[in-house]
Amino acid sequence: MKRALHLSIVVTVVIAGLAGTALAQKPVKIGVLTPLSPPGDAAAGQFIVRGAKMGAEDVNARGGVLGGRKVELVIEDDSGTPEKGAAGIRKLATQDQVAGVIGQFHSSVMLAVQDLAEQFKIPVFSTQASARSITERHLNYTFRTHVIDPDRVQLWNRWITERGFKRVFLLAENTDYGTGLVEETKKYFKSMGLKAELDTAIFDRTSVDLTPQLLKIKSWKPDVLLNGAVGTPVYLMVKQAYDVGLFPATPMLVSYDVPVRPEFWKTVGDKGTWLSFIIYYHPAMRLPARGEAFRKKYMEQFKEEPVYSAFNGYTQIVLLADAINAAKSEKGEELVKALTSNKFEGWNGTITFPRGEGPYWQQWTPPMLITQYTKPEQPFAEVKIVYPPEFKTGEWMPAPSR
Amino acid sequence: MDFVLLSQYVISGLVIGALYSLMALGITFIYSIMKMINWSMGEFYMIGSYVQYALIASFLGPRRWWIALPIAMGVVFLLGLGVQRWLLRPMFVGAVERRDEYATIVTIAMMLFFRNLAIVLGGPNQYAPGDYARPKMIGTLPISGNRFVALVATFVLLAAFYLVVTRTWIGRALRGAAQNRVAIQTAGIDVLRLDMLAFGVGVALAAAAGALLAPDFLVYPENGAISTFKGFEIIVIGGLGSILGSIVGGLLLGVIEALGSVFLSAAYKDLYGFLLLILLLVFRPTGLFGESERTA
Repeated sequence: MKRALHLSIVVTVVIAGLAGTALAQKPVKIGVLTPLSPPGDAAAGQFIVRGAKMGAEDVNARGGVLGGRKVELVIEDDSGTPEKGAAGIRKLATQDQVAGVIGQFHSSVMLAVQDLAEQFKIPVFSTQASARSITERHLNYTFRTHVIDPDRVQLWNRWITERGFKRVFLLAENTDYGTGLVEETKKYFKSMGLKAELDTAIFDRTSVDLTPQLLKIKSWKPDVLLNGAVGTPVYLMVKQAYDVGLFPATPMLVSYDVPVRPEFWKTVGDKGTWLSFIIYYHPAMRLPARGEAFRKKYMEQFKEEPVYSAFNGYTQIVLLADAINAAKSEKGEELVKALTSNKFEGWNGTITFPRGEGPYWQQWTPPMLITQYTKPEQPFAEVKIVYPPEFKTGEWMPAPSR
Repeated sequence: MDFVLLSQYVISGLVIGALYSLMALGITFIYSIMKMINWSMGEFYMIGSYVQYALIASFLGPRRWWIALPIAMGVVFLLGLGVQRWLLRPMFVGAVERRDEYATIVTIAMMLFFRNLAIVLGGPNQYAPGDYARPKMIGTLPISGNRFVALVATFVLLAAFYLVVTRTWIGRALRGAAQNRVAIQTAGIDVLRLDMLAFGVGVALAAAAGALLAPDFLVYPENGAISTFKGFEIIVIGGLGSILGSIVGGLLLGVIEALGSVFLSAAYKDLYGFLLLILLLVFRPTGLFGESERTA
């Protein structure tokens, strides 16, 4: 009897010990909900995932979170569609029970996902979704470490003024991002007192032939064409504008950093020369320690210059891990408190999430620069920054006549 | 309205319409013979574009597109033969009770399979082979060399298809199968072999469209979706089973979309074709050149 009692005590202690160890080692899951297949900008999603994976490796190499628990990523494809995004966050919240979600790229998807994040009480990060309304809604669980469209529009308006363009055409896709760009540009043209004439058009994102629209724009004789598309339509617009003789005679400015990707020259060939585009990271930038370490490791691993999407994916995982440690919890409410009350080290400096006015709510904005390709197959590292003047490394050049 | 500009819109609509019609022809041809709709047509378009890109980027270079084109068509033709032999034939040999449902399920499954296979093998990125030719002018319209090549090749393929169907023994057999599958068997024709051939040729036409349009409309896993969608619209406009209807329907859709997108709004480009389609369904349900089906 006594022996049986001893045995049962030993077994209980061993089971309790094993259970405790298992609990201590249970990983903290973080969701990466991002476009990994068309019609979403799947290339962007891939870069975000690369950065996020490196972020998780970095956190785990430094001992994980909450006293030794590993960070585990759960990657979901939203295909750039709100319905898949909504299904993705439901799965991440209920089945995987993630502490937070990063990777949002398309504004339309983010707008659907953020409502559900609010219901499930998990922080969701816009990695590259820039519509004003995302942070303007002042939701508790929505965070963004990317530019917002009013800032983007103000940048290109200042550039238009500097260049002295008199006729500006904005061709944008029929998404929250595209229609938002049109609204913001019209609004800021007035409020910033631009003297140029503005015309805009919205095209169907699924359309593969933009020729009639581009012919019409050509006949309007703009001084500059603003390309307000995302993913595949960006390339289609560049190629087809070239084919109808609109670009590069008429300069084109792409609204985000898609031309920095390795696929750019493979897709548009020489037709991409003289393209101007907005970027958030340039290889010539002097980065703080965390950003420089990431850049070095990325180049070792992938043998190419990192792009902004990867930097941002990395940063969001690392700062979420830092927030989990600061909160000493993986619970959403605690994480929101930690995120809004602490400072975090990002790829390009200190990140904070103040609850500011309008769209500047739980928002951190990276720098924005305008660059231009001037040679076919030009490597991104050689691209000159042409605007704003304080960061300029070269002059913007009109294309020579064909 | 500037006449030059209007003519440019119309010509660009006709060009894109002619290219759409190649896709529609493949769909309607398969329907005529096998009495089934191939929902995975866009994926054969996509495979054609990938094969063309791989050949041009790896071995041939863009100026030898004309060598890559028949190879891409041949690869997809063989794939089509295999698909018909192993997946679709059970419909016609009594192994399947609900033929229409079976065909729908099998072709939608293929659509998902090929699309995901492309993501696995080629990644989600887009590609484009180099330009096939230098830019050209068609009337008042400046056009890319690729689109010009695609247009000429489309006319050549349509002419070749017409000649085969109207002037050869096999064409006569195919027309016979389109009219009455049972009756032609009394003339000793193996209708199951004709099915294989029809499916192979139909998907090879889609592959040709994909290969020809690869430089302009890019190569990526879902690039066939829009062409399939247009193809189905065209066959309803032109009349299911009508070759002439596929061509005229394609041209009409191209022009209507071009004019609608510039005079109304480019945001609703797809809507204009659908409005035409609805009007036709109301006033001429068989399409422009379709005929009412006669059943015993």
